[in-house]
Amino acid sequence: MAWTFSRPLFSMATEDQNKAAQHVWEHESLGGIAENNNPLPRPVIGLLILTFFTAVAITFPLYGQRPSAAIYADYVSLADSAEVQKIMNDTSLSPDVAGERAMALIESSLAKFDSPYEFQRTQHPISMNQLKVIAPAIIELQQKGVDLEEYTVIGHTVDKANFEGAMKEVNGEMVPERKQPWWDKGYRIAVWWFVLFCAAVIITVKRLPHFTWRPDHTIAH
Amino acid sequence: MLKYLFEKEENIPQGSAAVFFGVSAIAWFIIGTGLGSFNAAKLAFPDWFHGLYALQFGHMRQVHVHAVIFGWIAMAFAASMMYITPALGNTKLWSEKLGVWNCLLYNLGLCLALALLWSGVTSGREYSDHVWPIDLYIAFIMVLPWCLNVWMTIINRRTQGIYTSNWFFAACMFMTVIVFLVGNLPEFFHLTGLNEAYMTWWFAHNILGLLITPVAAAITYYIVPKITGNPLYSHRVGHLHFWSIVVFYSTPAAHHLMSSPLPEWLKSFASVEGVLILVPAIAYVCNILLTMQGKWRMFVENVEIKFTITGVLLAIPLNMQGGFQQTRAINWYIHGTGWIVAHAHLALLGFSTFAEAAAVYYGMQVLLRRKLYSLSLANFHFWTLLIGFSLYWISMTIAGLIQGAAKIYEVPYVDVVIAEHPYMIVRWLGGTMVFLGNIVWLWNMYMTARAGDEVPVGRQPAELAYGR
Repeated sequence: MAWTFSRPLFSMATEDQNKAAQHVWEHESLGGIAENNNPLPRPVIGLLILTFFTAVAITFPLYGQRPSAAIYADYVSLADSAEVQKIMNDTSLSPDVAGERAMALIESSLAKFDSPYEFQRTQHPISMNQLKVIAPAIIELQQKGVDLEEYTVIGHTVDKANFEGAMKEVNGEMVPERKQPWWDKGYRIAVWWFVLFCAAVIITVKRLPHFTWRPDHTIAH
Repeated sequence: MLKYLFEKEENIPQGSAAVFFGVSAIAWFIIGTGLGSFNAAKLAFPDWFHGLYALQFGHMRQVHVHAVIFGWIAMAFAASMMYITPALGNTKLWSEKLGVWNCLLYNLGLCLALALLWSGVTSGREYSDHVWPIDLYIAFIMVLPWCLNVWMTIINRRTQGIYTSNWFFAACMFMTVIVFLVGNLPEFFHLTGLNEAYMTWWFAHNILGLLITPVAAAITYYIVPKITGNPLYSHRVGHLHFWSIVVFYSTPAAHHLMSSPLPEWLKSFASVEGVLILVPAIAYVCNILLTMQGKWRMFVENVEIKFTITGVLLAIPLNMQGGFQQTRAINWYIHGTGWIVAHAHLALLGFSTFAEAAAVYYGMQVLLRRKLYSLSLANFHFWTLLIGFSLYWISMTIAGLIQGAAKIYEVPYVDVVIAEHPYMIVRWLGGTMVFLGNIVWLWNMYMTARAGDEVPVGRQPAELAYGR
């Protein structure tokens, strides 16, 4: 099966192959049905490109992605600080008001320092009540010395819910070969999948006679 | 049928297997929609019928689903493939005898499978409800002989090229066998937890995406050019449709489990691929509608085209819903509500059923060499199906939105039941219309076989005027 790559976007088949395909196309009746060789209309191509970008954009989980436990580690530390505890223990305040003020203090303290989690924190704000629920689990994981970025807050639990399974041995310990960045929850694989699909379809279609050739259906029908 | 079981291959008339499958399909459609009507009545009027354990909703729902999927849809596909595949290869079916046996054993197997479901013997997994012996029977006795007939007919074709419909038929049958055996692994090996959930929904998703919708599309690729006489708009767009189905439709499944503790990357990947099912959908709808150029009057005048193009038009909302309803934001709202039931019916009773009905109408006329007995009855069937389906789809979509709102705002369940009551009644009315229309269809096909005008050799049924 010969290939030609001199004009890959025009045709990847040789002239002889194209002539043979055209001959079969025009001289063969497939149960009385004929086929044309039209390309997709250009507006439809635009629609397909739009579909791809929509697919990635609409599923990019800015608001739906569960937060990593790592983004709350500093919240947990600051919650134990004297200033925050003072507010929490202030009996003149209702529990809700105390929680709100304590969280405001934690957030203002965090804002003074650069953090790789700044963006994620704005996406996943947390209340003092929620923090109280997950704090024991985060502290327990910190004591174990595990990487909190590998753990996800799911409701009231902190679980290893997002990870890549391949592990390697380092100093006798099994550690993940690769850690997912927070922004890539399956998007790189989706983009590669799409690119490979496009490549495969382009190759398939470019092995056909070019779309400027119009078959004559009067020969076989 | 019985007289052909032990006949020599050459003594069995061509098209016998397709006719038997076609008649069986219509009969199962009546049974399946009758059961659906009964179930809908129970949801609309809970006190209407109770007392008999086997007729409770929990049993009947599964029987309805499997009667429709394995009885109507799959058997109409078998009927279509068994006359379209050889026609496109300018040859005859590889083995009519195998087809006739296949049809008999298919019907017996389905009766057994439904009887077991009815009596409560079930795996408990939605869509893969059968217990493992029935799964094996379905795979090796019902589906594999069917595959063999399709594949061998294509291999033994008398043409060099293979038309688009036959790519789909061959590939979809292959993928169905894989999906069926892999998807039922939880039943074979007692897989539990997330593995069970994932496999169950991979099966459910792909039975729809790799069998039902692509084969329905393949049928329309045959019916529209064949009846209109127009060439298919584009062979190369057919490639785009085919490969995008294989690539994009096979990968989602996690999008059915967006709230489960599956890895987020898997859900995101599935969700992106879920939106990308719009690629095959756009390619397909364009290809068929552009094939209709200059022949749109047939949408009104010709029954088969009327059914086919209605199905193709229903594929547009089907894929728009399917593409977007599994994204996190929308799924959060509509998951577990009647919206999903409406969407499933849009796929099965809308797009797929209209395409298959066209194939059965056309195939029966071609194979029996008889013109359709009554255009009026066919139109009656079309409108009862379309209006009945629309009532069902719209009422369940609204009911689903109500349920979604109630879920988010934590409205007491009993209030939701009261709010949904009118829509449940409309759903029942719509489903019952479909059921009644199908009885008329069976009568029309019976009369076509008995009293339809003969189609002269060398002519197509579509070329002759309707007699009644």
